Amino acid sequence: MRHGKARFVAGFLALPVALYLFYVVWPFVQAVAYSLTNWGGFSDTQEFVGLANYTKLIQDELVRKAFWHNVFFLVTVPLFTITLALFFAFLLNVGGRGNRAGIRGVFGSSIYKIIFFFPQVLSLVLVAIMWSAIYRGDGQGLLNGLLIKVGIVDPEQPVKFVSDPSPFLGVPTVLWWLLLIAVWGGVGFYMVLLSAAMQSIPRDIYEAALLDGASRVHTFFRVTLPLLRDTVSVAWVYLGFIALDMYALVFVMTPSQGGPDHASEVFASVIQFNAFQRGQFGYACAIAVALAIFTLLLAAVQLRITRRERIEF
Amino acid sequence: MSTVTTPAAGGPATRSTVGPDRVGGPPPKSRRASGSLSDSVFSGFSHLFLLTWSVMVVFPLLWVVLSAFKDDAQIVRSPLSLIPNGLHWDNFSRAWVNGKFSSVFLNTFIIVGGGVFLTMLLGSMAAYVLARYEFPGNRVIYYTFLAGLSLPVYMAAVPLFKGTDNVGQLFPLLGLNSHLMLILVYVAWSLSFTVFFMHSFFKTLPTSVAEAALVDGASHTSLFFRVMLPMARPGLISIGIFNVIGQWNQWYLPVLLMNPPGGQTKNQVLAQGLIELSVNQGYKSDWSGLFAGVTMAMLPVLVVYIVFQRQVQAGLTGSITK
Amino acid sequence: MSVIPDKSSDLTRRKLLGRAAAAGLLATPAASVLAACAGGSSGSKTNTGTKGPDNPFGVADNSKVDVVVFNGGLGDEYPKFDKTLFDGKHGKVTVNLSSTQKIKTEQQPKFSTTPADLINNSGADSMALDTLVNDGALTDLSPLLDAPSWDDANTKVRDTLLPGTVSDGTFSNTFYVMNYAYTVFGVWYDQALFDKNSWTVPTTFDEFFTLAAKIKAAGIAPFAFAGKYPYYMRWALMSWIWQAGGKQAMVDIDNLKAGAWKTPEVTSVISNVEKLVKDKLTLTGSDTLSHTESQQAWLDGKAAFLPVGTWVENEMRKTIPSAFKMKIANFWANSASDKAKGAVFAGSGEGWIVPKKAANAAGGMEFLRAMLSKAGSAKFAELTSSLASVKGSGDNVTNSTALKSANDVMKAASGDLVSFKHPDWYADIDKAEQNAIGELMAGRMTAAKFQDTMQAAADKVAADSSVKKQTRT
Repeated sequence: MRHGKARFVAGFLALPVALYLFYVVWPFVQAVAYSLTNWGGFSDTQEFVGLANYTKLIQDELVRKAFWHNVFFLVTVPLFTITLALFFAFLLNVGGRGNRAGIRGVFGSSIYKIIFFFPQVLSLVLVAIMWSAIYRGDGQGLLNGLLIKVGIVDPEQPVKFVSDPSPFLGVPTVLWWLLLIAVWGGVGFYMVLLSAAMQSIPRDIYEAALLDGASRVHTFFRVTLPLLRDTVSVAWVYLGFIALDMYALVFVMTPSQGGPDHASEVFASVIQFNAFQRGQFGYACAIAVALAIFTLLLAAVQLRITRRERIEF
Repeated sequence: MSTVTTPAAGGPATRSTVGPDRVGGPPPKSRRASGSLSDSVFSGFSHLFLLTWSVMVVFPLLWVVLSAFKDDAQIVRSPLSLIPNGLHWDNFSRAWVNGKFSSVFLNTFIIVGGGVFLTMLLGSMAAYVLARYEFPGNRVIYYTFLAGLSLPVYMAAVPLFKGTDNVGQLFPLLGLNSHLMLILVYVAWSLSFTVFFMHSFFKTLPTSVAEAALVDGASHTSLFFRVMLPMARPGLISIGIFNVIGQWNQWYLPVLLMNPPGGQTKNQVLAQGLIELSVNQGYKSDWSGLFAGVTMAMLPVLVVYIVFQRQVQAGLTGSITK
Repeated sequence: MSVIPDKSSDLTRRKLLGRAAAAGLLATPAASVLAACAGGSSGSKTNTGTKGPDNPFGVADNSKVDVVVFNGGLGDEYPKFDKTLFDGKHGKVTVNLSSTQKIKTEQQPKFSTTPADLINNSGADSMALDTLVNDGALTDLSPLLDAPSWDDANTKVRDTLLPGTVSDGTFSNTFYVMNYAYTVFGVWYDQALFDKNSWTVPTTFDEFFTLAAKIKAAGIAPFAFAGKYPYYMRWALMSWIWQAGGKQAMVDIDNLKAGAWKTPEVTSVISNVEKLVKDKLTLTGSDTLSHTESQQAWLDGKAAFLPVGTWVENEMRKTIPSAFKMKIANFWANSASDKAKGAVFAGSGEGWIVPKKAANAAGGMEFLRAMLSKAGSAKFAELTSSLASVKGSGDNVTNSTALKSANDVMKAASGDLVSFKHPDWYADIDKAEQNAIGELMAGRMTAAKFQDTMQAAADKVAADSSVKKQTRT
């Protein structure tokens, strides 16, 4: 039984690993190589410059700005998405008329689950069109039109949404509006995920809690949530990856891809600008590599902190 | 592929640590009194929040679909309106032609079909071996796959393009503008996500069944295909659906790689057709055509999701339990 | 594109196929990995054919020419007509036309390996010219200028072009970019609306402010602009600066001269623009609108003036109201004491380039020669309601008030045409300028701050030795 093992393992891994190495790893290795040069991106000429690009990026004001904006998303995207997802999962599984052991979901929960998931299914083009119309900065925008009709917004001063660099709680307003889109898109998926996780918790645990006189809310915070910890922590890491990217949203929704006036720059837009507009492909690769290292370290740290014993039941 | 396709949230991510599957029978009845006022209020509040969010999700979507039936004048002048002032079916035919939908739909079906099949097959094979077999380099390979989740695809663009072009000189089937090439690229870029998920799934499958089968003389390969893979069905379907959605909506890689020099007919996919329509919009207003095109593009994957949503959820549930 | 493999890659391939057979695995990844390592050069140039007056660049028979057309506001129909012209003189050469809107995304990755022979580098996703020039990635097109024109062997192509076309395409003293469309920029308005209200087009900023009060009283916004794309408003600003300070003012700005952004003339212009915004003379929300959104609002009668170029008629064709009489006027002067009053901002645009690594550069240039023919340019004007950069292209178009008024503006132009280079030369200044204009037009930046910001940006680039500098006169 053991003899065939090596050949079996190698055989099963060969093709996937080969494809992955060629189409994913190798291009990145090349990008790392480029980061050590001053290649412009269009010609054949490039010179080795060692770590010069890396020292440059540490002092780059734009990179610094992008860093803080990404940190904002890093904190808020997982926080709001998972909180809302937990809230809705709670309502779906526990928020109904309860005469059973805290598992009675609200009526129509399966329909809600289907609907909530929709944003996941949509392509970027669709999301961009939708939200551009919603966020349009004059009276013809969906939100502005609504708010003006209701009287909350002055027709002479429509809300600027993603064209607004003024700070709100210390952070450019445009970032908050982008956050809304990100959360809108993500909540449904994580709600379904957490819902599934909640349903896999055995009933007798709930039973025991209720026998002891715990209320629904109490049960949720003291029993359910701790048991969901692993799912939540991995979801947090994954949403962190999204937060450190945000390329698509910034690219399609903001003026000048990172504006107005650099108010929504993220690593992705700075990398784009350097690679394809300033003609500094090598430098852009250095920023990207730095970002990749930061991302991986962050993930490793997060998973380490939240790791703990397997719970068997 | 999630880092590229989904603008908001990515795919599922769980690490299963809980125990045996509770094939849920009916929940035991509680001994509490039933139907108190606070319960109703609570339930009412729940519906309020849930309905509000549902509206936030459905309304924009509905607006796009209904706008697909309007004409440009109505879209531009009364954008908030939900009722089209006429059923302008020509929007759809115009979008179909301008977006070259007949060919892009066909190309997309071929590429996504091949892509998802291969992704699930190879991804499961790799994940299974990594999850259940000890061997030197196991951790390294696993983490290499994981690392892909955090890497932005556009930085790999130029090397990826060059590499594909160079291969294409030797083997045109693997070069630019080839269906097979794009399938392989999709597979490679979906492996991180698939391996990550299926790995935790396979880790939770019981060892007893495997041992029994091996004792009975089954080879590792037949153990995988005959026993383990079927047991992993919920996860396979669930992750398969996610891959379908992701690869269906993928736009960056096709725009990069399905663009040969010169006048060859580009084998474009649906996302590129949509981009044609939407960027066109920046130069020659045709809002109604754009909305119609976007509606048509969205329908197949929406239908797939609705049809399979039970399996998707079962898969998610099953992956978390054992 | 047929590739004749050179000796070294041939050997590599054979060696690796051998190894592959031994290992029992597909060699494909390995072979391509090594090939990809080998650096990006590929392909050989197409052999040249015999040169002559009808084939000045020596396009070879049986070769092919790959042409990438930008399918934007001007559409992609006119190159198809040019192809028939080309086929008429070069029956044995195959022209492959492809059209797209994502020039940079599609063409840039292959620029150093297998680019097309002729590319229309335009649109929002176009490649940065300064990088292309600095990287030495473009073919010198001066042979095109000195070649005999398509219709008359005794006239050089150079002499058939409208003023400014050659200098617009010259970077680092070399002619790299063949700008095909001739666009006139100005403020656009509806003659019917103006007739109804007895308004006349202002000739100075002061006149505009007076008129603006009347326009506002009628419930219309005097001025709209595409806030989402600050480079639209930039055209107006640059025109005003040129008129106010003369050509020298712009030359100084382009040459990164110290203090060029702080002269009294520039100060006057920016202050007037600041007043435009502060007095609420702009359409509400205009600073967030895209070009089509602001143009539609203007067509709907919500605003009187809109700064844009002659492509606007073609772009908005589907929704122009039938009673709308679209006309263009030159940007009004900054004040009565302008040094270059009456200068028009018109110039060539829609840049066509031939990559240095193009396999059939001769074919690319010959296709351009066909485009620049009388028939080609007349067809272009007919199809797009836009002028071509060839003299006389618009003389026979009668169905467009917009085009006719553009013609009139050109005829009334005095002195040099307005032109500015700094955004094309320096990406950092371009970005800083667009950001600053965005802030200025949103009312978040004062005139003084704008000037300080621009001067700082210019000074920073001037002091940066790693940036290649260009100059102009």
